Amino acid sequence: MMKSINNGCSERRHVPWAGRKHCPRFACCQHYHSQIPLLFTVEDLVASDSEELAQKCSLSYKALLAIRRVLLAQHTAFPVSGADLYEELLSSTAIVSTSIPSLDKLLDSGLYTGEITELSGGPGTGKSQVCFAAAVHTAHRLKQSVIYIDTTGGLSASRLLQMLQVQTDHVEEQMEALQRIRVFRVFDIFSLLGCLHTIRCGGPQQASLGAGSVKAVIVDSVSAIISPTLGGKQNEGMSLMMQVAGALKTIAKDFNVAVLVTNHVTRGAGGELQAGLGLTWSHVPRTRLLLERSRGPGPLLGSTRTATLVKSSRQPCHIKAQFDLNWGSGSEEGLPGRKRARDSSDS
Amino acid sequence: MGDYKTETGAQLFARLEARRCLIDIEPHLFPKNCGPQYGEVVELHGLEGTGKTELLYHLLCRCILPVEAGGMGVEVVFVDTDYSLDMLRLVTILENRLAAGRSSSSPQAESDAGCSEEAALRTCLSRLLVVHCGSSSQLLLTLHYLETSLSSRPGLSLLLIDSISAFYWLDRCGGGESAARQEDKLTKCSELLSRLLRDYRITVFATSHAIRRNYRNIATSSSSSSSSPSCSEYEQPYLCRPWQRLVTHRLLCSRGTPGTNMATACTEEQSRRQAFNVRCVSFSSSSSSSKVTKAHKSSSFYVTDGGVVFV
Repeated sequence: MMKSINNGCSERRHVPWAGRKHCPRFACCQHYHSQIPLLFTVEDLVASDSEELAQKCSLSYKALLAIRRVLLAQHTAFPVSGADLYEELLSSTAIVSTSIPSLDKLLDSGLYTGEITELSGGPGTGKSQVCFAAAVHTAHRLKQSVIYIDTTGGLSASRLLQMLQVQTDHVEEQMEALQRIRVFRVFDIFSLLGCLHTIRCGGPQQASLGAGSVKAVIVDSVSAIISPTLGGKQNEGMSLMMQVAGALKTIAKDFNVAVLVTNHVTRGAGGELQAGLGLTWSHVPRTRLLLERSRGPGPLLGSTRTATLVKSSRQPCHIKAQFDLNWGSGSEEGLPGRKRARDSSDS
Repeated sequence: MGDYKTETGAQLFARLEARRCLIDIEPHLFPKNCGPQYGEVVELHGLEGTGKTELLYHLLCRCILPVEAGGMGVEVVFVDTDYSLDMLRLVTILENRLAAGRSSSSPQAESDAGCSEEAALRTCLSRLLVVHCGSSSQLLLTLHYLETSLSSRPGLSLLLIDSISAFYWLDRCGGGESAARQEDKLTKCSELLSRLLRDYRITVFATSHAIRRNYRNIATSSSSSSSSPSCSEYEQPYLCRPWQRLVTHRLLCSRGTPGTNMATACTEEQSRRQAFNVRCVSFSSSSSSSKVTKAHKSSSFYVTDGGVVFV
């Protein structure tokens, strides 16, 4: 009986036995009121009056209450005391540094596990570079695994290696770090949802074969695959977007990882820059940075970027910081200009 | 519910005993004598970054803090549908409030304060129950489940939902063509809530994100195309009618104009104080479909490390 109720959950629209004399699957329906099906789903059973139902179906009232209790226990979210939650949080929260000091300062020392941080900015503002830096730092310094979901084909392994070479000369260490960065390439929203589902069901530990547990999930860029589904008066796109948001949030919370996503920018009515994907998405990330090219004199400022904290619950908003994209790749090693030119073309 | 037939004496008392009324929860916010009564619903509505969450934490802290520290000492259920509860932030606010309460009431020995501080924080947090919901069906079933918590805990007088609009788009798409089916889940939630509100005399605070632009308004006021989107564009309620009927107070949050703030800000400490405005609209709680506005109040606040401070 339990099983049939559970199965009924997904079949609200097409119930083949609705209104028939003999319901093959659900004994409740066939007794007196065979024309009117009483129940379809768990929701119906939970919401129904158990006493009335007991009379109609000649089931014992106690049995029905027991069923109701079991169903509720199976399908509801379990309330957790705030004290326990805090206890758990104290032991599990980590802050993943982006390895760029000025950005870390802006983010109140880095990317917090359990929440979504967003980098938004136009092309060539260093979104991907910051993602690379965070991935390399997590993999090398923190010795933790990273899941990197690349949706634009913009991930360049040679750039990762280049960043690692600055950190260490040992080839084994470089290779170990690269092993910890697990890359998924997805180019449409359904593959992304599938990918997130695999990560969630297998748990990040299994999805990533490398040593250590996953501390960061990076999606670069989330807007590249969501924005094509939006537009018009369609609900599907919005729904898909919220499914992605929900999946990212659950991964962040349940597995205690830091989620970093990148987004494009649009111009508002007044010409000011704002993060893309519209109003609904604007509520999704907990922290948002807006990246811009610094406007300054001199040709050497080509690799300097300005980051503005647009949304945060920890720091006052609209504080700015400057950072250099060549941080971590060792600008003293020379030729930042040439390197920059290549980087901007693939970000 | 059939459960009433089998309720125990303790459950009956829990249900009928007067729960703490939250009418004086925040006098700055609500019009005089128009605070949230038993069984009333307050909706916090606003765009991203307009201080809704901070305001919610403020109200939450006010509830779970002990009376000595300026709180109300009641139990709260936080239904987190957005996965937005930032426990660290909440604890920061609580610690600040507790410290402020202690210093004002009784200056004790430092060593004694150290351990009691932690204990006081735990006591506060144990008054909070957190539920994470991932879908509208789960929300509905959880509300059903919470009925047992409500009947067993008389101290539980506030239900916070952050946010009620979280599953809006998912439901819109999941419901297919029929508008009734699209709103089915939230309608059921609202009906259940209205029963819980009546039977257990709790109060509900819910946030709703401004995620829909009201195109009709834009069309009429397009001539006055201001540089920033006017707030009224987003203020239109869009959730289903049964929910709208439940709401007795709407708190419309918006960001204050930074210009006036910057002029007075001299130090960095001051300029970080982004002002937020809240406009409270109270409706007379009548069962008729047309609502009558009872009272207005506007207030503004800024956010510090220790939480919301009203101006």
